[in-house]
Amino acid sequence: MTRIATHSDKAAFSTLFDHYAPLIRAYSLAREPGANLVADELAQEVLIRVWLKAGSYNAQLSNINTWIFTLARNCRIDYFRRNGRYISDIDPTEIFNNIEDDDPGPFQQVHQDRLAKNIKSGLSKLPREQAEILTKVYLEGKSHQQTSTELKLPLGTVKSRVRLALRKLQVLILR
Amino acid sequence: METLKNHPKDELLAAYAAGSLPLSQALCISVHLEHCTECTQNLHQLHQLGSELMLSLQPAKPSPKLKDKLFDQIDQILINAATTEKVTLPTNEANHSLPRCLHQFIKTGYEDISWKRLSSDIYSYELCRDQNNAKVELLRIKPGGTSGTHTHMGDEYTVILEGSFSDESGFYQQGDFLVKNSLDKHTPVATIDKDCICLAVTEAPIQLTGFFGRMLNPLIRRSYA
Ligand SMILES: [Zn+2]
Repeated sequence: MTRIATHSDKAAFSTLFDHYAPLIRAYSLAREPGANLVADELAQEVLIRVWLKAGSYNAQLSNINTWIFTLARNCRIDYFRRNGRYISDIDPTEIFNNIEDDDPGPFQQVHQDRLAKNIKSGLSKLPREQAEILTKVYLEGKSHQQTSTELKLPLGTVKSRVRLALRKLQVLILR
Repeated sequence: METLKNHPKDELLAAYAAGSLPLSQALCISVHLEHCTECTQNLHQLHQLGSELMLSLQPAKPSPKLKDKLFDQIDQILINAATTEKVTLPTNEANHSLPRCLHQFIKTGYEDISWKRLSSDIYSYELCRDQNNAKVELLRIKPGGTSGTHTHMGDEYTVILEGSFSDESGFYQQGDFLVKNSLDKHTPVATIDKDCICLAVTEAPIQLTGFFGRMLNPLIRRSYA
């Protein structure tokens, strides 16, 4: 019985691999263009965590895309720290891991689907210079300071473009 | 959970969600999130933005070998799970009142730390350094004590762990998050009923150049060390 369950799990997992492995690899390559081995390692590590944590994953609380994004982000931070490309005495595990497991509060599937749709259509309409900054910060993993240096923009401009993009995409609850 | 008034700015929370914030600053935000439902909800939405951005990438197909490798690893996990018994590690309950992200530095409680006396009112304890040599430390102000009027040479990020304090621009309580830059001059005073303990991250001072700058650098270093 366990065997059968395992077999069907494996088939489902194989489909999941086909969909997500190329995206996780792309996410890794966004930070380190050309580093295909690093990208393979990241994809493997994220998907192993997905396999191990599938039992604790709560579909009610977060959609699978978001869950995989946070896993990929955490693994990427771990990877760069382990390989000495980020020098710090701070262990990131406890900073970020608590969040992926926690109850995110009053969050509804309907609300999430609507937000995902808004973000998707918002992103396609975003001014190029705002989209560029989001790519740097989210996909390339660059700090505001690094973004400002690379794009030769004042730090304040980088920050205000992030703020403008978030407002346009209506990602945040206004306070 | 009380409603807090002092939150990290939107772009700071977004950098945290993106994983591109220096870890020392992420540490302060992580403490704030444990106290703030509003920012926690915003964080989830910022994660959703991250996932949409990831989905917008041009997929990069792996070699067929990667899948085999992954399934080999899964088989190994299944074999191990079948042959070894689950061992549950005892969790240390003593430090449950500390923010989770600080467990890596403080094992028991704030009382058992060897605090370093800076003045009759203030004690400090350095936890570690982050990249670019940013200093991560705990500050403890005695009830009613003050750190005196001061400015900061780099940006300073503070989150309140226990107690409360006020300065010219407001009143801050447990979980409140604030950033002071080199232009802000402030005089924090701890509330009289108890010690105020903060987590503070100070960026390394910017080295000044030019004749006068070189003269000032030793002075700056002294105030930062
Ligand atoms: Zn908040």
